[in-house]
Amino acid sequence: MFLTRSEYDRGVNTFSPEGRLFQVEYAIEAIKLGSTTVGIRTNEGVVLGVEKRVQSPLLESSSIEKIMEIDRHLGCAMSGLTADARTMVDHARVTSQNHAFTYDEHIKVESVTQAVCDLALRFGESVHDEDAMMSRPFGVALLIAGIDELGPQLYHTDPSGTFVRYSAKAIGSGSEAAQSELQDKWNSSMSLLEAQKLTLRVLKQVMEEKLDHHNVQLAQASADRPLSRRAVSY
Amino acid sequence: MDHFPTNWGRPRNDAFDHYNTYPIPVRPQNNAFADSVQRTQQPIVTGTSVLGLKYKDGIMIASDTLASYGSLARFKDIKRLHQVGDFTAIGASGDMSDFQALQRDLESLIISEEVTEQDGHKLGPKEIHEYLSNVLYGKRCKMDPLWNSVIVGGFKDGERFLAYVDLLGTTYTSSTIATGYGAYIAQPLLRKAVEGKEDVLTEAEARKILEDCLRVLFYRDARSLDKYQIATVNASGPSISDSIKLETSWGFAEGIRGYGAQTQ
Amino acid sequence: MPSMEHVAHPQQRAFNPYTENGGTILAIAGADFTVIAGDTRQSEGYSIQTRYAPKVFRLTDRAVLAVNGFAADGNMFVKKVKQRLEWYRHAHAKDMPLRAIARLIQTMLYAQRFFPYYVYNILGGIEDDGTGAVYSFDPVGSYEREACRAAGAAQSLVQPFLDNQIYFKNQQAAPGQTHPSHLPLPDVLSIVIDSFTSATERHIEVGDGLEMYIVLAKGRNTQGMESLHGVQELSSKLDGERVFVVRRELKKD
Repeated sequence: MFLTRSEYDRGVNTFSPEGRLFQVEYAIEAIKLGSTTVGIRTNEGVVLGVEKRVQSPLLESSSIEKIMEIDRHLGCAMSGLTADARTMVDHARVTSQNHAFTYDEHIKVESVTQAVCDLALRFGESVHDEDAMMSRPFGVALLIAGIDELGPQLYHTDPSGTFVRYSAKAIGSGSEAAQSELQDKWNSSMSLLEAQKLTLRVLKQVMEEKLDHHNVQLAQASADRPLSRRAVSY
Repeated sequence: MDHFPTNWGRPRNDAFDHYNTYPIPVRPQNNAFADSVQRTQQPIVTGTSVLGLKYKDGIMIASDTLASYGSLARFKDIKRLHQVGDFTAIGASGDMSDFQALQRDLESLIISEEVTEQDGHKLGPKEIHEYLSNVLYGKRCKMDPLWNSVIVGGFKDGERFLAYVDLLGTTYTSSTIATGYGAYIAQPLLRKAVEGKEDVLTEAEARKILEDCLRVLFYRDARSLDKYQIATVNASGPSISDSIKLETSWGFAEGIRGYGAQTQ
Repeated sequence: MPSMEHVAHPQQRAFNPYTENGGTILAIAGADFTVIAGDTRQSEGYSIQTRYAPKVFRLTDRAVLAVNGFAADGNMFVKKVKQRLEWYRHAHAKDMPLRAIARLIQTMLYAQRFFPYYVYNILGGIEDDGTGAVYSFDPVGSYEREACRAAGAAQSLVQPFLDNQIYFKNQQAAPGQTHPSHLPLPDVLSIVIDSFTSATERHIEVGDGLEMYIVLAKGRNTQGMESLHGVQELSSKLDGERVFVVRRELKKD
């Protein structure tokens, strides 16, 4: 029996006749509801910036955690269902530590990104006594920034497990406008300071609130100090 | 959560092997009778030396046909040489029941290879030897050894192959190999006759060398017999002889003190 | 009453999963090269099993591993290390650096802490910074970086010789001069060859053949190797580190 067209978005791992996995596509849509997150790569390092939506004056904005450290040379910023990112960052941290333990070296940015993406499609029904981890795809996208022997790098991951390297990338609700602004303003010889300013400028443009030291957070991975969290906060 | 990707999609097993080197963690054996399983602690019915050498056109392996029960010559026409596939012969000393189990194992290996006959793979002596090494090393790691020393010989793709593997998984290749007592008695004779002459020795010469060694072994090894087989592997494949009676002469014994009729 | 102690016990022969297969290995690091060598005899007890069983293995263009002790464990260990290096290449798109291989070998050895690989490993090669390096290990994974190390049957013969010739132990420098911290390649090659001819003379488990691997840092020319005959290059590319092997005869008695 063929399912009717609309039923293909029920099963999390059933392809539609057009070859689409609707649940994964919906998960990618979920990211567009998240707050705007920006990453910019320069030759000196990578800057990450996030918007924090402070919905109430009684909310302590410092408790909103959208930038996390994976290892001393790796950081990540997120947009979407940030709770899902905890599983991914946890896995990234263990993978990174395990690599350092086994090989006495820092894991590469691409390798840790790959490890995180290996998790992405582990949803669906479990067979027999096998251990399925998730009943649905992750609803979060990550910008993973870091420095290794190939220099500063910025990776973007989405719920389908696809990862791509970017010079500058924006995700979340304001990502369309932010991305075109980045495309305009980014250049390959930017300094880290210019990247910090550009990050804030882009966030300011797409944010509804007025930008202040509560509702935006920056982090950077740079050569002299691999990862400084909240190094700059305006 | 299990952070080792190679464990994903396997049956959950929290009690075991969490931080061992990945991959392929050994599955737990949930066998209620595990404690009552007897392992080979010592060989029981044993075969003595096996000899092997390379010659011009291939390799030869020889052994007598005796299987001893301690000092009792228990079975006098046991086959200790065995053909494996189209290019290989093996010979074993040590525990004969373990060797026969090994023969059965190799037989089923060859049969399962035949099922996929047209895949372009044919198991040659190198592959058989690698396989046997893994089996014997694997068993030694479980402290459940197959108590044998095995010579693997063969000829494939114009190449001779002669190698050894034993109950510990120790392996080596050489142009002459001897197991058991033969390592002490026959190996020096073999090396003198063969080393440096591997490419000129004819089949008849090689056979003569082995027969001479078997004869010395029969004279000196109390667990040997004057009945033997020779396996030859060359371009036309393996062939294992029937049991052959060894020509011996005991005339000299009369002159040996303590052996002949002298009283002093 | 006579003591029954020596007859009362039935003879119990428990299976011993280990044996010793003789042989000796050695490695010396130079400023921009490393030499790793081993003899090729494999023996058990007083019997020579074979005159050619390699104990030294090229892992990558900048890493060579020498393995000595129980041959079956050694071969299996090398097989597993090579497998891990291959997986690493696929996962991380590069050859594993020398110090990463050293750490990997430690974790692999220690994983077998309660049923050890009975092998002494010496890893030699070129570090990421271009220096020659030697790492030595015990069977359960303790390791350190050194300038030179001998292991195996003739360790007790060779190591004191190296201490004297490489570390200049018990030697006084000429007035106003200091001992060099690294020896040039021809000197190292001579020391390696002399070590093995000497060990062959005095140790029954050493002999038959010598295999010497030479690893050169990126950009270093082959200066110092001219005197060697039959050098064979094993490098996979010519613009990186380079690996060579030289085989020589040793006495067979």
